[in-house]
Amino acid sequence: MSTLEYILAYITPYLAMAVLLGGVAYQVYRWRQKKPTTVHLSLFPRPQGKLGRLIDALIDMFTLKGLFKVNKLLWVGGFIMHVGLLLLILGHIRTVIDFTILWKWLNWGPEETHTFSAVAGLIAAVLFTIPLFYLLGRRWSGSVKILSTPEDFLILFLLMGIAFTGSHMRFLRPDLDQEAMRQFMQGLYTFSWKPFPGTEGTGSTGPAFLWHFTMVQLLMIYFPFSKLMHTIGGIFNKMVMRS
Amino acid sequence: MLEKFTKTIRGRISRPLQYYQDICVRCGACIDACHFYAASNDPAHIPAYRMALVKKLMQGGDFRKTNLRNWWKDNTGFDAPTAEQLRKALWECTGCRRCAVFCPFNLDTGLLVSAARYASYQEGFGSEMVAEIGNAEISKGEIIDMIKEFYVEQTKEIETRLQQEFAPGLTIPVDKEGARVLYVPLVGEHAVIPLAKIFHAAKEDWTLSLFTATNHSFFTGDMAKAKQAANWIAQEAKRLGVKVLAYPECGHATRTVLSYFEDWFDGDIAGIERINVVQLAARYLAEGRIKVKPGTFTTPMTYHDPCNLGRNSGIFDEPRTLLNSVATDLRELSPNRELNWCCGGGGGLIAEPSLQQARMEGGKPKVEQIKKSGAQWVVTACENCKTQLDDLNQHYSLGVEIKGVLDLVADALVL
Repeated sequence: MSTLEYILAYITPYLAMAVLLGGVAYQVYRWRQKKPTTVHLSLFPRPQGKLGRLIDALIDMFTLKGLFKVNKLLWVGGFIMHVGLLLLILGHIRTVIDFTILWKWLNWGPEETHTFSAVAGLIAAVLFTIPLFYLLGRRWSGSVKILSTPEDFLILFLLMGIAFTGSHMRFLRPDLDQEAMRQFMQGLYTFSWKPFPGTEGTGSTGPAFLWHFTMVQLLMIYFPFSKLMHTIGGIFNKMVMRS
Repeated sequence: MLEKFTKTIRGRISRPLQYYQDICVRCGACIDACHFYAASNDPAHIPAYRMALVKKLMQGGDFRKTNLRNWWKDNTGFDAPTAEQLRKALWECTGCRRCAVFCPFNLDTGLLVSAARYASYQEGFGSEMVAEIGNAEISKGEIIDMIKEFYVEQTKEIETRLQQEFAPGLTIPVDKEGARVLYVPLVGEHAVIPLAKIFHAAKEDWTLSLFTATNHSFFTGDMAKAKQAANWIAQEAKRLGVKVLAYPECGHATRTVLSYFEDWFDGDIAGIERINVVQLAARYLAEGRIKVKPGTFTTPMTYHDPCNLGRNSGIFDEPRTLLNSVATDLRELSPNRELNWCCGGGGGLIAEPSLQQARMEGGKPKVEQIKKSGAQWVVTACENCKTQLDDLNQHYSLGVEIKGVLDLVADALVL
C-alpha cells in the first residue's frame, strides 16, 4: 500500500467529512449573518403559515412540482437524476448498517436481499447516470451554454466519474470482494480500521474502488463551497419567497 | 471604476440575494420565463445571467488591474459592451418575477434588479425620469395644503357631472375624517369615476385621498424613498381614522400596500385593513351590497393577470368573479394566473421614454397570447398594463380594446 493510498484511505475521509459538515454549518451561519428581508416577498400561490410553507417547500423538494409545471423535459432530467441519487445514497447506507429489521419484516433471507439490492441498485444507477448525460448535453445546448460556468461541468464530471466507477464495480465485476469494502467502511465509521480493499489478504477490487472513494471525498469537500448548497438553501429561499 | 456600485450592492445583498448568489445551479429553467429574452434572445435578458453579471461586477473594484492574486476573477474590465449588458440586465426587466415562479428554488431576480438599480444610480446611471417622478411623489406631501383646494374643486366638477349622468345622490368626499374606507386613486379621473359609482351603489362611507398610489421610487430600488412616499398615505389613513385602506387598479402600489406596509408602518396602520379595490368590489358583490346586470357585455374578452396583482399579490379569483358576473364570454389566456406572460410595461419602463422600443419588443409574447385567445377586449386591473397594452395594441395593430375590470363593473351596476 503506497503512502498516497494510505492517506486517501484513512486520513482524508475524516477530513472530507469534517469539511462537509463544518462547511455546511459555516455557510448556513454566513447566511444567517446577512440581514433578512423584513417585507413579505410574497410569491403566490402562497401556503398558509410557516409550517404550511415548510411542508410546501419540502414537497417541492421531493417532487419538483414547480419545475414540472413549466419545463417537463428539464423536470425529467433533473428529477430522475435526483431520485436515482437518493436511492443510491440509501443503498450505500447498507455499507455501514444493514437494514436487518426491514429484511426481517419482509421475511427475506440473504438470497432475496441480495437479488433485491442488485435489481434496485441497477435501477438506481440507470436513473442516476442517464440523466447526467442529458444535463451535460443541455450545458452545451442553446442558451444554457451561455449560462454555464466551469463549476457546472466540474460537478457533472465528478458525478459521472462516481457513477461510472460505482457501476463498474457493481455490475461488471461481480468477482470483487464486496465484503472487504463493507468491512473497510464500517471500520472507518467505528474508528477500528480494517485493511483497504485490495490489499493485505482481501480479495481484488481493482483500481475502481480507490477512484470511486476518492472522487466521493472530493465531492464532499467541494459541496459546501459550491452550488450544491442548493440542497439546503433551496428550502430556505422558498420559505422566504412564499412569506 | 464602478467602486460605488460594488460598495452599494454589497450592502444591499440581503439573505435572499445571498441565497441567489450561492445556490443558483444555472439550470436554465428561467430562460423560458423572461418575455424580453423570448423576444430578443439576448443573453443579458436571461434572469440567471443578470445575477451572473452583477456577481461578476461585485467581485472586484478595479477590473482593469489584472493582478496575480485575483487571477481567478474575471478581469475583463468594465468596458462598453459590459456596460450595455448591465443596462439591459437592469432596465430591460419589469420585475414581474415570472422567472421566480419558474425557478425550482424561487430565486428572485426582481429583488436583484431592484438592489442593482439602486447601486447603479450611485454611479450615475439609471433612468432619471423614473427617479424624478419618485422624488416628486415624496415632495408632494410637503405642498399638499397648497394644491388641496384645486384638487377638491376638480373633484367637485366630476361629482356634479356624475350626479347628472349617473345618480343624483352621488358624492365624492375628499379628506373626510371618520370615513370607513380611504380610497387612494391614480392621476386622472378614470381612476375615480368607476369607484365613485361603485362606492355609491354599495352605500359605502368612503373618502378620496389627496395623494396618488403610484410609487416610482419602488422602481428605482430606493426603498427608503419608497417608504417616504408611502408614508404620506399611511399618515393620512391614520389621521382620518379609516378602517380600510383601498388601493386602485395599480400593480406596484398594490404590492407595496399588501406586502410592504406592514413592515414599513407597523404601528401606524395597525387595525387598518389593506386591500385592493378589485378585492373590495368582489366583496361588495359577494355580500350583495352591489348588484350588477348579468350578461351586460357579450363581447369576447380576456383577463390579463397583472404580475403585481397576480403572482405578486395573490389576486387571481376576484377579478374573474367580477368579470364573470357581468360578461358572457370571458376567455382565459394561456398560460394564465401565476404563469401569465408579463405585458412588458412594468418596473417603471412606461415612464422612461428611451425604453419605448424595448417595451414593444418585450411585449411580443403578450401579443401572441392575446391573438391566440381571439378576445376583442383585453381587461386588466393595472394602470401600467393598460398603458402598455394600449401601446402594443397600436404598435402591432391588434384591433382590440383595453378595459379596466372596475370600468366594466361600474357600467353594469344596477342601482
